[in-house]
Formats: sequence, structure tokens, C-alpha cells
Amino acid sequence: MIAFKLAFRNLLGAGLRTWLIVAVLSFAYVVILFYNGMLSGWDRQGRRDTKEWEIGQGQLWHSAYDKYDLFSIQDAHGPVVGEAKKFTDKGKLTPVLIVQATAYPQGRMQGVLLKGINPDQQILKFPSSMLHQDGQEINALIGKRMALTTRLNKGDKVLIRWRDKDGTFDALEVKIADVFNCNVPAVDNGQIWIDLNTLQKMMDLPGEATLLVSGTDEINENVGPWIYKDTEFLLAELNQIIHAKKGGSMVMQAMLLIIALLAIFDTQILSIFRRQKEIGTYIALGMTRAQVVGIFTVEGATHSILATILGALYGIPLFLWLGIKGITFGVDDMGITMAETIYPYYSIGLIITTTLFVILSATIMSYLPARRISRMKPTDALKGKIQ
Amino acid sequence: MVSIKPIRDLIIIVNQRTEIMKRIFLILIGILIALTMNAQDAKAILQKVDDNMSSRNRVFESTMTIHGKRSSRTITSRSYAEGEKQSFTEYLSPARDQGTKMLKLKDQLWIYSPASDRTIQISGHLLRQSVMGSDLSYEDMMEDRKLTDVYGVKIVGVETIEGRKTTILELIAVLDDVAYYKRKMWIDAERFIPLKEELYAKGGQLLKRTTLTDVKQLQGRWFPTTIVYKDMLKEGKGTEFKITGIKFDQELPAYIFTKAALKK
Amino acid sequence: MIRFIFKGLLRDRQRSLLPVLVVSTGVFLTVLMTGWLTGIFKDMIDVNADFTTGHVRVMTQAYAQNETQLPNDLAILGADDLTAELEKQYPEMEWVNRIRFGGLLDIPDSLGETRAQGQAVGIAVDLLNPQSKESERMNILRSIVQGKMPDNKGEALISEDFAVRFKVQVGDKVTLFGNTMNGAMMFSNFIVAGTVRFGVAMLDRGAVIIDLSDARNILDMQDASGEILGFSHAGYYDDEQAALIKSSFNETFTKADDEFSPVMLRLRDQNGLDEYLKLADSMSFIMILVFVIAMSIVLWNTGLLGGLRRYTEYGIRLALGEEKSHIYSTTMMEAVLIGIMGSIVGTVFGLALCGYLQTYGIDFGRVLDNSSMMMPQKFRAYITPRLFYIGFIPGTLAMVLGNALAGFAIYKRKTARLFKELEV
Repeated sequence: MIAFKLAFRNLLGAGLRTWLIVAVLSFAYVVILFYNGMLSGWDRQGRRDTKEWEIGQGQLWHSAYDKYDLFSIQDAHGPVVGEAKKFTDKGKLTPVLIVQATAYPQGRMQGVLLKGINPDQQILKFPSSMLHQDGQEINALIGKRMALTTRLNKGDKVLIRWRDKDGTFDALEVKIADVFNCNVPAVDNGQIWIDLNTLQKMMDLPGEATLLVSGTDEINENVGPWIYKDTEFLLAELNQIIHAKKGGSMVMQAMLLIIALLAIFDTQILSIFRRQKEIGTYIALGMTRAQVVGIFTVEGATHSILATILGALYGIPLFLWLGIKGITFGVDDMGITMAETIYPYYSIGLIITTTLFVILSATIMSYLPARRISRMKPTDALKGKIQ
Repeated sequence: MVSIKPIRDLIIIVNQRTEIMKRIFLILIGILIALTMNAQDAKAILQKVDDNMSSRNRVFESTMTIHGKRSSRTITSRSYAEGEKQSFTEYLSPARDQGTKMLKLKDQLWIYSPASDRTIQISGHLLRQSVMGSDLSYEDMMEDRKLTDVYGVKIVGVETIEGRKTTILELIAVLDDVAYYKRKMWIDAERFIPLKEELYAKGGQLLKRTTLTDVKQLQGRWFPTTIVYKDMLKEGKGTEFKITGIKFDQELPAYIFTKAALKK
Repeated sequence: MIRFIFKGLLRDRQRSLLPVLVVSTGVFLTVLMTGWLTGIFKDMIDVNADFTTGHVRVMTQAYAQNETQLPNDLAILGADDLTAELEKQYPEMEWVNRIRFGGLLDIPDSLGETRAQGQAVGIAVDLLNPQSKESERMNILRSIVQGKMPDNKGEALISEDFAVRFKVQVGDKVTLFGNTMNGAMMFSNFIVAGTVRFGVAMLDRGAVIIDLSDARNILDMQDASGEILGFSHAGYYDDEQAALIKSSFNETFTKADDEFSPVMLRLRDQNGLDEYLKLADSMSFIMILVFVIAMSIVLWNTGLLGGLRRYTEYGIRLALGEEKSHIYSTTMMEAVLIGIMGSIVGTVFGLALCGYLQTYGIDFGRVLDNSSMMMPQKFRAYITPRLFYIGFIPGTLAMVLGNALAGFAIYKRKTARLFKELEV
């Protein structure tokens, strides 16, 4: 206890230098927290958005469906019956039918995926209620990325040509009822959403779907012929990006911490060097060398405690402010689910581990130079002779 | 002064009424014609077209001109066809395509390329691709059912095309698995050959238009020798198909419709 | 005078070694961190640049409009002349021709008939020319899972996933089937030299990588190219340079009334990378600034340490009659010398490590044990001109500043008390 009291008194007595080191260390601490907070914020938002807009609580795929193989789509549809139908009726599953089609915006030809969804579904955040038909016109929804590439706006009409289940050509004009804004490119790029019933009629596939989006955690295995894909499988890409980003940032954080620790190391050497008389006095008063080493180690490590306190002083308001305001990146269309505005998220675990890590590494860095004390001759130390 | 306006108005009204009467009369006649020329007649017309156009077999040389965005390309080929089910085509020019052969047996299609010495089967989604960048898909070439088997026919009008009187037939699919739900055909009323055809989507959208011209009498039958295919949704000038020589009912060696013939 | 101080520094290792070591460590870290950060922020851009956008990219206007359809019928004709012209006019960039094409990969059985078919994403780059940097740029060699790089015409690399799905072995013959530039049918046999996995979902489904000359042959694209990409010789994307080249090129070559005339796009104009670049620029600027400040504080501390250490020495020098201002100025000069020496040493080592990391990178894919990453898992540092001077800011400035502050203590010394202090 005496070591702590002494440490604080000594540090505060050292004035400016202490505060500079504390400032640097607190800065490293805050940046590490911030960066990790930002990544987990991105991760959480990405996961949340992907779940809300695309995958729900998991999906049930038709056995022939392959997300990456466009040609698989032609045969990847089946009737929603039995168990799957029961879940659907209860609103726990919402079927999506996916069909390949060709759109002709302004006479240009573009391959699209036509996706049918129930306008009354509640599982996805998707503004599907816009798809309710008013009269003869077929309402369609597209995302902002699709709107950009096709140069279609709200209210525009676009001709779509598709082939029904027997291969018979059909073509129709649909009206873009709205352009939705979402962070999940997987429901946006190259896609036109329409009412599921209409699409089933257009395809002559009544009651059929390509996949079912689950809105409940009750479903965690295959339902009839439908193959269950859990959220981890569906989020694999996002997880990988976050992992990758964490890898890249680790080096940066390590370097930042090293810089701060270098300052502590540096100061420890300086203190031991300047305070030989003091060290000699402690020993003369009957302290063991280990105890003196302890005093100096605690003193060095106290920098980190002060740093966490200082960090908290400006970090908490800063983080709170960023947490409310978010960080706007405006990044778009990179094919990755990333919100325009990221709200950093700081978990208790992250804060505790980062704090412990900073204090522990500061302690080690303080201990290393302090070891020299144990090699000092107390008599010389008392005289203040440089050893 | 007596105004003549009421009189003038009266004359106009009377004229209008006669006009309306005339129209009603014409419509009635139209309905009458439509009623008398019943579906049976339409089917007979289509049958005559079928008889006229098809033969036991035929051998023909043709050129196909494909208008690209930048340049046009002409491909010449020699084809052997027996009925609608079997055909064999060998490409003669340009040099790059020379020796490429295509064999169709019922619903299967193979292409052989001499450069790679490979026979590749075209199936599934590939059939929907365009043939050599043309406005025709492989599938369009694969259709081998008789129109009368696939479509219900009725007569919907008459029209004169380039001085020839034609009967307009409307074909609506009676089977499910057809590419085009509705077709309209303009049949030469005397020679019973199609001069124009339009293909429609189920919803009524015009998708493709074919015009047939240069009708010549060959081996005693009338035959259109130039056919222009145009995908109506796609920009461009379409694909021109010209028959440069045709012979009907030849003695064809049987091996020609086998996969072995591809490698010969 | 400087020589005298320099000698003093060299002979008294107490005075030189530790400060130089600290300064150079700090500078080393600053340089490394700056290079690393630049590298991290550019990694996303690099994937885009290396695979699709280049630092600048030339296409015909019509091709650029329909790019997603890989419309090789709209490719650049007279590509060789245009490339030569580009090389002549803009030698600061390396110009490479590439062709991307769609098609089918057909796997024959023992009789030469179709056994399996799959969608292919064809990429043709200059693989066989030993001077070509393309395989390195696209990280092909490291992406090979089985087999080897093609070293003859008629050899191809195919995606590992495809090979596994359709049971294709290295050395097998496969047929690429599609359309030539003119729309004619294209069939071509290739020997599978190896299989690749890039970690990019679209490519890993059915990538087929062949040599550019092979592609030109089979696609009937002699003297034609889908795209001509420019890569700055400096190795990183320099927006100003790209903007200059772009405007000069487009002024000469792009014609409003000819949709087949070429048009150049910067990396920034493509794939929505503009926003990302802005973000990366500001983020890396802030991070580097913060780092330089932090480093400055540490080095300042070192300066203070130096001043305090030599308290006694200054006392003796004062006692011997040296002017306070003279002591101060020599201390400052020492600080400058140490700062420069340390900065040079630190910058050299920092650049060396950055250079190493630029060439070899650190493979986090292995560290994170993730076999199918979306992006290449290699993180690299990047050497930019900034790295050559950035270290000198904290290195020299902080050292001098620290010593300047510490040195003020000299003026507070009273000659009268000197002997008491020195306990002589």
C-alpha cells in the first residue's frame, strides 16, 4: 500500500513529464478501444442489417439453390407445403421466389434477378408493403445501387422479360414504386423485388419458393426438403472481412502501445538513474532490494492507471458522443455490408481486457529497468555515485 | 339575315350518322367473315403452309448475316435436314468457322469444332444463348413440333404485304412448354407461304419479328429465300438469313445424322 | 565547432548512444507505422486496382458503358499501337493489356464427349512474358493450390473449387467454349497447369486464367484488348498523377461522336472507390499525425533526460567560465546532430522493414486460420515519398525541442551556488 502512495506522490511530483507519458499512454489506450469499438460496431451493424434485410434468423434453401451459380436458379424452386407451410402461415417463415429475367431500362439490356416476396411479411425490414398492387400496375422495389446502375428512379417504368416455368416468354412493364436505401448489397445489386403472388402467377409456380427466410430461432434444422442454413453460414463473408480488418489493425495498435511503453521504459531508466540516493536511503532504512524494485515497478505501472483514468476522462465523453452521432463513412457499393454511419460499440469485455493489457504491459516495462536496482551497491547508491 | 349555321350543323350531324352506320356495317361484315372463316379454315391454311414448306428432306446452302454493333459478319453453311427432328449443318466460311458442324437429333444438340477436335453438347441454359451472336437462340432452332400440334389457330384479318394478299393467322399455344405463347402469321393467300411472323410474350408484348421475302419457285413449290429475324427488345438491325440454294427430297446417306458424322 | 561536438558525441557514448538509439527507435517506428498504415488503407484499393480498375484504365466508351457484360465486341482495336502510344506519352506508368471474357468450361470424358460443364470467368493477362509483373500483381503464384504457373501457350489455371467440383486434375485437357470478339463460336483446348484460389467468391467459382496471346488467338482479338490498365511505377495510386494523365489522354483520344474511341478512367472514378479513398486519406492522415505527436512526446522526454543527466557536467562547464549561452547553443547543436543521426538510422531501418513488408507482406490468413477469405489476407506496408521525411519531424524536432526545454535549466543556475551543488 505504501508503494502505491509513494508512487502517486512521486509521479505527481514529477509534474509535466508524468502527464506527458500518461497522455501518450492514455491516447494509445483510447485509440485501441476506439478502433476495436469501431470494428465491433461495424460487425454488429453489419450482422444486424444483414439479418434484418437479408437472412433473418437463418434461411431454408431449396436443395438446388446455389447463391453463386445463376444457372442453378432456373430449377431451384419448390412448393411450400407441410411443416414449412405451417411455419409460413404462422408468419415464422417468409418465402422468396427468385427468377432470372432481363430488364430493358431505356432500351438497354440488363440481366436481373426478379425476387418475389410477400408484401405483408414482417420478418425482413424490407419495405415490402410498397409492393401492394394498386390496380393493374405491378409495383416493384429496387435498391439505391440498382437505381444507380440502371438509372431508374421512383415512378419510372421498366420492361421486364422472363420465361415462366415451361420456358414461355413473357414480358411486362413494372413501375418502380420506391427506391429503398439499405446497407446490404446482397438484396440490392441487380435485383428487382415484386409481390410474391404476382411472381408466382407470372411464373406459373403457385405456392412455390426458392428459399424461406426464418424469423424465429425455433427453426434450426432442415424442414422437409428445405435445407437449413444458419446465420453463421450466411454471415461468413462479413465475418471474414471483420477478421481481416482486425488482423490489419493489430499491428497498428501494437505499435501505438509500444510507443507509449517506450516512454515509460525511458522514464524508468531516468528515474533510477537520478534517484540513486533515494534508492540507497530505502535500502539503508531496511527495505529489501525486492521491495525497492517493487516501489519503482509500481511507480512505473501507476502511469498506466493514471492513463486509464485520464483516458476515461476524455474517452468516455468522446465515445458517448461518437456512439450517438456515429462515424459517417459514406462508403458505398463495395459489395460489402457496411453502414454509411457506424456506431462504435464497446463491450465490457473489450474495455476490461484492453485496460488489463495496458496495465500489465506497463508493469512489465517498468519492471525491466527497475531490475537494475537489485544490482546496485547500497553504499554507492547512497553517495549518488553513478553505477 | 337568316343564319345558315343550324342547317350546316344538321348536315354535319347527318353525315356523321351515315359514317357511324357505315362503320357498324363494316364491323358486322367483319364478324360475319370471322364466323364463316372458322378455326377449321385457319387450321387448313396452316396445314397448307406446312405442306408447302416441309418436305421429306432438304439440302440447302445459306448465308447468315449478323449485324453487330460495330461490324457485320456473314457465315455460309450447308445444311441437311430430315423432317423437323434431325438436321446437320456444316459451316463453310469464314475461315474461323470452317469445318464447325452442328448436329441436332430430336431435343439434343451437339457442336463439333475441328480446331479443338471436341464435340460439345449444348444443353440446359446454354440452349437459350444466341447462336453466333445472332438474334436467334439455339432453342429457336430446336423447335421441331408442328405448329398445328402446339397452337390453336384462328383467322384475325387480311392485309396486303408488298402487293400480295395475306391472311393473318393468330396462333395461341395450347401446350404449356412453348417459348412463344402467341404468334401472328401473315400467310400469302394464294401461295400459302408465310411472309411475316410476329412472336409475342404471354402478356402481349411483341418480342420478335420475322419477315420473309424473295419468294421463289423451287422444284415446283414457292419458297421464301430471305428471312430477317429481329429481336424487338434489342437494339440493332437483326439477322438476315438467305438461302442460296435448296434441293428437296434428296437421297441422304443415313450416317449423316449420327455423332460420328461430326468428326468426318 | 560542429566537428568538435561530433567528436564529443562519438567519444562519450553516454551522450550519444542512448539518445541516438531512442531517437532511431522512435523514428523507425514512425516510418514503419506510416508505411504500414498507408498499406492497410490501400489494401482494399489494391485488390480493386490489381484485379479490375488499374490505377487508370482505358476502354472504349461503349465497353465502359456495358462493362459488366464483358462486351469484347466493343473492345479496343489497334491496342498495340495505343499501348505503344501510352508508353511513349506516359512513361511514368506501366501499361498492360487484359481481356476478360465469359464462357463455358467443358470437361471431356475419355471419348472426348462432354462429361461436365460449368460457367467460366475468363481472365487473360500477360503470363508468359518473363518481364511481365502481372502474375505477381494478381498474386497468382501464391494463389496456386495445385500444379504450377503456366509456362507454355495452351496452358491454363482454373479455379480450385471448379476443379474439385468437376474432378479435374492438373494435366487434364479442358475446352473453353464461348464466343469470339466477332460473335463466332470459340472452342479451345487448354491443359490445366494448376488450380488457384483467390479468396474472392466470384472468381473462385469458375475463374480460368490464360495467357493474353492465347486469348487473342482464341477470341479473334489480334491487336485488340478489352482493357488497357495503367499501373504507376511508384507502386501506389497517386490521384494527382492519375488525374493529369486522364485529362491529357481523354483530351487527345476521346471523341464524343465515336463510341469506340477510347476513354480513360482513374481508379477513383470506378467501383465507388472515390468515397473510400477520401476516407482512407483522412483516416491515415489523422493516424499518422497522432503518431507523430506521440512520438514527439517520447523523444522530448529523451531530450529532457539528456539535459538532466548532464546537470553536473554543465555545472562544471559553468564553473570553468563557459558562457551560459554557449553551453546552451552547443547542447542544441548536439541535439540537432543526434536528432539527424537518429532520424537517418531510424528512417533507413524503417524503410528497410517497410520495403520487406511491401514485397512479402504479413499473411494474416494463416494467423487467423481462415482458408476462404474475401480479400487477400496479406497485409503490406507501402513506401511513399512521405516515408523519407516523416520520421525527421519527431526525430529532429522533438529531440531539439526536448533539449531546448531542458536546456533552460542552465540559465537558472547561479554561479555562486555551483560549488555547493557540485559538492566539491
